[in-house]
Amino acid sequence: MSNPGSVVLIVDDEVQIRRFLRTGFELNGYNVHEAGTGAEAIRLATLQPIDLVITDLALPDVDGAEIVERIRSWSSVPIIVLSVRSNESEKVKLLELGADDYIVKPFGMAELMARVRVAMRRQMRAASGEPIVKVGPLAINLATRSVTLNDERLTLTPKEYRLLQVLAQHAGNVVTHQHLLKEVWGSIHVHDTHYLRIFVRKLRQKIEPDPNIPRILLTELGVGYRLAQSGSEPENAAAGMENSVKSTN
Amino acid sequence: MTLERVQSNLRGIAYAMLMVVTVAALMRVLREIGYPLQSSMLFIIPVLIAGSRWGLVPALVAAGGGIAISAYFFIYPLYGFSVTEHQSLVRVLLYVFVAVVTSHLSSQLKRQIEISRQREIDMRDLYAFSRRLAVAFDVPEIHAAIEDHLASVTERRVILFANAQEAASGKGRRGGGAVPDKVRTKVGEIAANPQAATASALVETANRETWLVRAVSPKSPEFGVVAVNLGHEHDAVINELRVRVETALADATATLERLGVAHAISEARMRAQTEQLREALIGSVSHELRTPLASIIGAATVLGSAPALAGEGKLKALVTDVHDEAERLNHDIQNLLDASRISSDGINPKAEWADPADIINSALDRCRRRLKGHPVSLDVPVDLPLLHIDPVLIKQALVQVFDNAAKYSPAGAPIGVTVKNLGKQISITVHDHGVGLTDSEKTSMLDRFFRGERLAATTSGSGLGLWIANAFVDANGGQLITNSDGPDLGTSITIELPVAEAAMTNVDNDSDE
Repeated sequence: MSNPGSVVLIVDDEVQIRRFLRTGFELNGYNVHEAGTGAEAIRLATLQPIDLVITDLALPDVDGAEIVERIRSWSSVPIIVLSVRSNESEKVKLLELGADDYIVKPFGMAELMARVRVAMRRQMRAASGEPIVKVGPLAINLATRSVTLNDERLTLTPKEYRLLQVLAQHAGNVVTHQHLLKEVWGSIHVHDTHYLRIFVRKLRQKIEPDPNIPRILLTELGVGYRLAQSGSEPENAAAGMENSVKSTN
Repeated sequence: MTLERVQSNLRGIAYAMLMVVTVAALMRVLREIGYPLQSSMLFIIPVLIAGSRWGLVPALVAAGGGIAISAYFFIYPLYGFSVTEHQSLVRVLLYVFVAVVTSHLSSQLKRQIEISRQREIDMRDLYAFSRRLAVAFDVPEIHAAIEDHLASVTERRVILFANAQEAASGKGRRGGGAVPDKVRTKVGEIAANPQAATASALVETANRETWLVRAVSPKSPEFGVVAVNLGHEHDAVINELRVRVETALADATATLERLGVAHAISEARMRAQTEQLREALIGSVSHELRTPLASIIGAATVLGSAPALAGEGKLKALVTDVHDEAERLNHDIQNLLDASRISSDGINPKAEWADPADIINSALDRCRRRLKGHPVSLDVPVDLPLLHIDPVLIKQALVQVFDNAAKYSPAGAPIGVTVKNLGKQISITVHDHGVGLTDSEKTSMLDRFFRGERLAATTSGSGLGLWIANAFVDANGGQLITNSDGPDLGTSITIELPVAEAAMTNVDNDSDE
């Protein structure tokens, strides 16, 4: 699901990175704007309507986190952060600041496009008010608060539903542990990760075809959880299925 | 004699008199109730106590007081200082003799005790100092140790300057207030030419404070120069302190030399520089190599999916090669970075409650590309306890183990993952049907840079993977165990992880169902 004519702003100080991103996005039908510094990025973002921002974390003038914060102060445009540091606490910080997703360099174009599609789709759903989020055989109706698996209605406890609801509202994107804990258990429990682990386990028993190999409610170690979206599987997902990871239990 | 000394003597005299009066009163009371004591020997007690506690002068005063009081109150004729009876006279003379001798002896004993106590303190200081030096890793630590040692020996403010530049800036190792200009100049002089200054120099500042400046060791300039603020003192005290400083420094230098610290300091400097260089190198490797790799991998994937290449099988294969090789390079660089991080600053696990199944899935996900073609079977019991570990580190360890299994198994050979709950720990075993291990390989498999000779020529690798995995598991309180039935019989690698005592099972049971 590409969005022909959508405008993407690419912010990175490495010209080679910008070049392949530009080509990749143009092949997918996007209009591309480039910025090499934070200041230029902010200037471009204020000059014209932008549909998507891809920003590097290490810029010569400002921290990428600052760009996220500044853009978020006036716009809800999807932002995806590129990072070389696979530092979990930094990812959490960026997500809390309002980034939609992150991707660690080096990455493949297909992987990035999958993240982009998810972020843009969420944006569109939020705009259209579409109440149903579908993940494979699972359908969550946010309006009627009903959850069905293969068209059969599931019985969830209030907290299980709340957990699924928060994830569905961000379907495809990572939701941090802290955010989930705050939304479901309240802000005094933001450090009680074990609550989350146990409820996710219970929820997976109900919604996953094979709870040992989750395909719907995915774990982002050290960061949070994400609800899979057809577009959010990494580039080799299809190839990966050939690996036939089987649970013998 | 200092003011303090006089004061302490006066105090001693006062106490001695008080005791004499108390004894007299006691004797008087005893006489009143019908137990008259002829002996004035009781007055020996205050003399002994005064002598042992406050020294000779108070003891003599106590003796004199005792004679006077007993002559006046207890020896006939009462209430006069004259002594008429022969017997009493002998008794008084005997008392005077005993009193003088004992007061002398006890005050000497007191001095002996004081000296030995001081020596004990000095020894303890020196011992603490040498112990501290033995564990000091770098120059600032050694300098701090010297500074503290001198400060505790002299009970004065001590500032150590490592070199002439430090003296010029006027800041010692740890700041600690300003140093007068004159002192600074002297420190600069000595630091510039330590061999010339064998003895300590005294500097008097504008506000009449005396400072002692001396090279810690004339032979080893790298130990620095100390400045001690002696304050406003008389010459005698200053000389005494000076001797103490000299002795302490002589002891300290001997200790430093015995420990080979002079050599160690220059080595530590060199090591610090090497370390800096290495850090810079790692930093630039991380940036300079990985940034272009990000461009190469990104560009390769764009090229691979370009419409222009659709149907160009051979060209597409080339692009895939570029991508795969760049990924491999990236993996190797990551390993090198991990390895140097492990050996330079150790590992700081960020423990949180984690589900072991999540960690395994996450690792498998990461290895999808590398495990391609190997059917993976997963045997994970339900109801595994949560673990309190750093899930990201354990995942990285598992990625190395999967990578190893894929690398040393024939294409298409299955790989199995078995998880067992052993009560106090859980074990994750990855078993392959690959080349297996010989006995000697088994023992050295976890060594840094180890590569099995049988396969070194046919497979690529740095020999770091399992060493890194082992370090990561170890940092989380677990252990990594390798096993094999022999060459070509497959390898199994087990990661055992501890289950925390309070494994969380009974949290919030969603009672509002």
